[in-house]
Amino acid sequence: MMHSDIKSRPVYQPLVPDLAGGRHLLVVEGETLAAGRLEELAGVFAPVQARLHTWLAGAAAPLGGLGKLWQLESAADVVDALACASRGYGVGDRLYVQGTEPFLWSVATAAAVIGFGEKQVQLYHAGSLRRRVWCTHCHGMTEGVTTSIVACGGCGRHLLVRDHFSRRLGAFMGVMVDAEAPGEIPAIEEVFA
Amino acid sequence: MTGETLKLKVAALADIAPGLRHVRLVAADGGKLPPAAAGAHVQLALAGAARTYRNAYSLVSRPGARDAWEIIVRRVPTSRGGSAYIHECLQVGEVLEAGWPGNLFAPVRTARRQLMIAGGIGITPFLSYLAEFAFSGVEHALHVCCRESEQQVFDPWLAGRPGVSWYWDADGHRLDIPALLAAQPAGTHLYLCGPAAMNEEVLAAAAAAGWPDTHVHCEHFGSALSGGEAFRAFLARSGVEVEVGEDESLLDAIERAGVNAPCLCRGGACGVCATPLLEGEAEHRDHFLSAEERAAGLLIMPCVSRARAGRLVLDL
Ligand code: FES
Repeated sequence: MMHSDIKSRPVYQPLVPDLAGGRHLLVVEGETLAAGRLEELAGVFAPVQARLHTWLAGAAAPLGGLGKLWQLESAADVVDALACASRGYGVGDRLYVQGTEPFLWSVATAAAVIGFGEKQVQLYHAGSLRRRVWCTHCHGMTEGVTTSIVACGGCGRHLLVRDHFSRRLGAFMGVMVDAEAPGEIPAIEEVFA
Repeated sequence: MTGETLKLKVAALADIAPGLRHVRLVAADGGKLPPAAAGAHVQLALAGAARTYRNAYSLVSRPGARDAWEIIVRRVPTSRGGSAYIHECLQVGEVLEAGWPGNLFAPVRTARRQLMIAGGIGITPFLSYLAEFAFSGVEHALHVCCRESEQQVFDPWLAGRPGVSWYWDADGHRLDIPALLAAQPAGTHLYLCGPAAMNEEVLAAAAAAGWPDTHVHCEHFGSALSGGEAFRAFLARSGVEVEVGEDESLLDAIERAGVNAPCLCRGGACGVCATPLLEGEAEHRDHFLSAEERAAGLLIMPCVSRARAGRLVLDL
């Protein structure tokens, strides 16, 4: 499901510290931490540990090696914390994010708002494939979508979840599935578990 | 005004400092000029003793001004006959042929903060930047490295604008480039325009401070780049052999031979002059070709690049 012919579909890469960077901020969505992943990250980021801050959202960190560690509750807290830090980050700093796609893009858009450029940010997808879906009809957002078709949280229309992705919204496009033949809804499958 | 080229009339000339001449240009037909945004340049055709020079100059007039364009030209002692012509021969009332304004150095309008570093006459593109930033309200700072005596020269264009700092070569007055670059918040874009040595120093400091190259923008002086050892080039399609002198560019020599070659910036930035290289090894000095393209050796930018050794054969 991660590969698609749709050009707007983002491609994610493993996180690798950019040694040219000044300070390094690693933001991890706790629920996407497989066993041993934190240790692995500590190893990968060892070269920049002295300049590393790690923000863990929704998980406890049982180990060191991740620089200055800070625990946050949720993606919303990460976004707020970034907004508060707007004057704290420099143009030479780097941001690394691991999480589900809605998490990655919530953080990436908040970082863009405070001036992080694309080349300063790395995103690594892990955990659930669930999607945030943007309704092309009412412009409402539906969170946590795991099925091929979903009832829009805004207008209730049945939306076919496309691979077309908006970086600005951090969401996939949803279009009314029974627009031509009202009421004819194909089988709904669990595809983004 | 319509057509391939513009006709501009010299409305005023003023020597604003030793070796610095201000030129005010209006449309020769009395009409309006096309609008040009911050960072734009115009290419003027200047008749030298031996041939016509085509030099690009930054517009220092207010962005969007349509009544007149202003440029400031430094007298270059050795190379390029164009600046000598402007300083010695140009007369008020004279009509010059010019290209349409181009812009290879426009500010990034999504930047949260605009940081400019100028060396000497490299301040010229930033005079229009300042006017734009004052209007848009974006946070900005201009750091100018120049001779101590040159500080007041640009006052008429700075109009008491805030955010301009001056540096010169004396203890306590030098710009600490690494310290300046290390202190910039995320979302800052850096623009620099000055002599090659200053540009290189700033580019290296920016890389060392971790600046992504997407946030660093450099304008090079074309004329400073074009000289070097003399060499020969054979234009295969035209069947002409040209001698490229020490203080002229390959493009200059091609034009002198009467062969038409496309060009725009004449500074190795725009890519318009890219010419297939059939034989010989180029010394690439442009900022357009990628490292891979340079290695492939199939293209050369005659406005700034030269022969590494021996003779070049161009598909021209
Ligand atoms: S004329 Fe622009 S790169 Fe040569």
